[in-house]
Amino acid sequence: MKTNMPLTKPIRKVISDTERLLDTELTLLRKPDAAPGGTLIDVYTYNIDKNIIIFPANYIGLLKDFVIAKQCTHLLVKGAAAKKSGYRVLSYNENSVSTGLRQIYLDALKDEAKKEKKLPVKKLIEMLFILFRQFHEDINELPWNPIVNARIYTRMEQLRKTQLYILLKDGKQDMDEMMDMMDIVPRRYFVLDKSMFYARDLYLAKTLPSDKLMPVINIPQMKKFDHLEVKEMLTTRWTQTAWYQSKVFGDAMLTIMEKHLNVDWGADISLDYYASLYDVGVNLTNALLSYMTMKDWFIWEKPQHLLAAEQQAAVYEKAALKRIFGDLIEDSLV
Amino acid sequence: MPVSEVPRLLKRAELYVRQTKYREALVLYDEAIRLEPKNADGWCHRAAAKIEMERYADAVADCDHAILLNQNYADAWSKKGLALYQLGQYVQALAAATRAVALNANDATAWYVKGICLEETGKSEEAEIAYAKSLELEILLDIKDEKNRVRK
Repeated sequence: MKTNMPLTKPIRKVISDTERLLDTELTLLRKPDAAPGGTLIDVYTYNIDKNIIIFPANYIGLLKDFVIAKQCTHLLVKGAAAKKSGYRVLSYNENSVSTGLRQIYLDALKDEAKKEKKLPVKKLIEMLFILFRQFHEDINELPWNPIVNARIYTRMEQLRKTQLYILLKDGKQDMDEMMDMMDIVPRRYFVLDKSMFYARDLYLAKTLPSDKLMPVINIPQMKKFDHLEVKEMLTTRWTQTAWYQSKVFGDAMLTIMEKHLNVDWGADISLDYYASLYDVGVNLTNALLSYMTMKDWFIWEKPQHLLAAEQQAAVYEKAALKRIFGDLIEDSLV
Repeated sequence: MPVSEVPRLLKRAELYVRQTKYREALVLYDEAIRLEPKNADGWCHRAAAKIEMERYADAVADCDHAILLNQNYADAWSKKGLALYQLGQYVQALAAATRAVALNANDATAWYVKGICLEETGKSEEAEIAYAKSLELEILLDIKDEKNRVRK
């Protein structure tokens, strides 16, 4: 380990266990502009020779420790998969982008038909790939979050208060995501996006356990219904809101999560154990994708495939739009 | 260079520290201390730069200078605690961190170092209290940072 910062005993153990199991070296870096959740730059994803965990410079104590614990756990899952069965991530190609964009477009058309104020065509077309990438990013991260957090909660008691704070912050942030696009994004996708986070937070609220993590806390519209009877809620047409629908879909996704996350979170550390966590994450991802009918949108590939796909993103978008709209689409639009 | 230049030198050095250019910062701190050896800030800030450069024994010496000039210099006690911890001198580090938090109860780093030193010296329950205090302060700082980020 390369670092000159003070660390608690349990964190030093987590780091040395990670290094020993994966036969690798970890470098810890403080950066003022680092993402609040920290960043992991690992040898299994990038073409580099050492693993680096970057965290915000103002995280000096237990907040820093939690970021390290979280990223080490994720690294162990990735590394164990790489050493055992092969590490894959959700990527995309021209065909899958085309399938995804076509589906979003059809759903957007249904929504637009009901709207009084229509979205300009150019904006609608631009939105397709933005939404596609948003879901790609979320589904590539979300299933691993409960896995990593449940493991840390069980194995590192000392970090529980810190973990609760970070999760509260994350939960609020994720529920706020897309809010500025609520009236533009097709209802189905707004609901599915919120449902994923709702299910994740509900799972964490039950697993950790903490009432403070209940996702309804972060749904602004719920506040309107404080102290109201169910009957009164129904008369305000609550059932037709995106938030109510998110709750219903979220409850269904929670059932999926609970079914797949039936894991011994306290097991001793071993490569086999972390490789099994990876398989759990892959199965959960597939189950969520099936539920959202997005299975053909993405493909499991080596991380290098995804890095290359990111480089080709604009090309894939252009090709997909040509496939959907044919000659109807002007070059200026794509 | 006149003594009146010292505040400007310290400011420039701090900018270098923020850019993790510790060598450049050290040159300016050396100059500031030469011009005004009785300025405790110069010694304390140089100690901080030396900690970043992993020159822990030198950092302790600089902290001691700062403390000699101002016995109640909380930040110098805090830095001394951190440097001593890095040298593995947990009992002395604990004493310095304890003094730091007595002088400034809002120093999250000092509480954290105190916690680690208590843990190292087998006082786990007391360590928990120090960690809790450190976390409380860190969260307050984080919330403040978040608000600033949103404002920007």
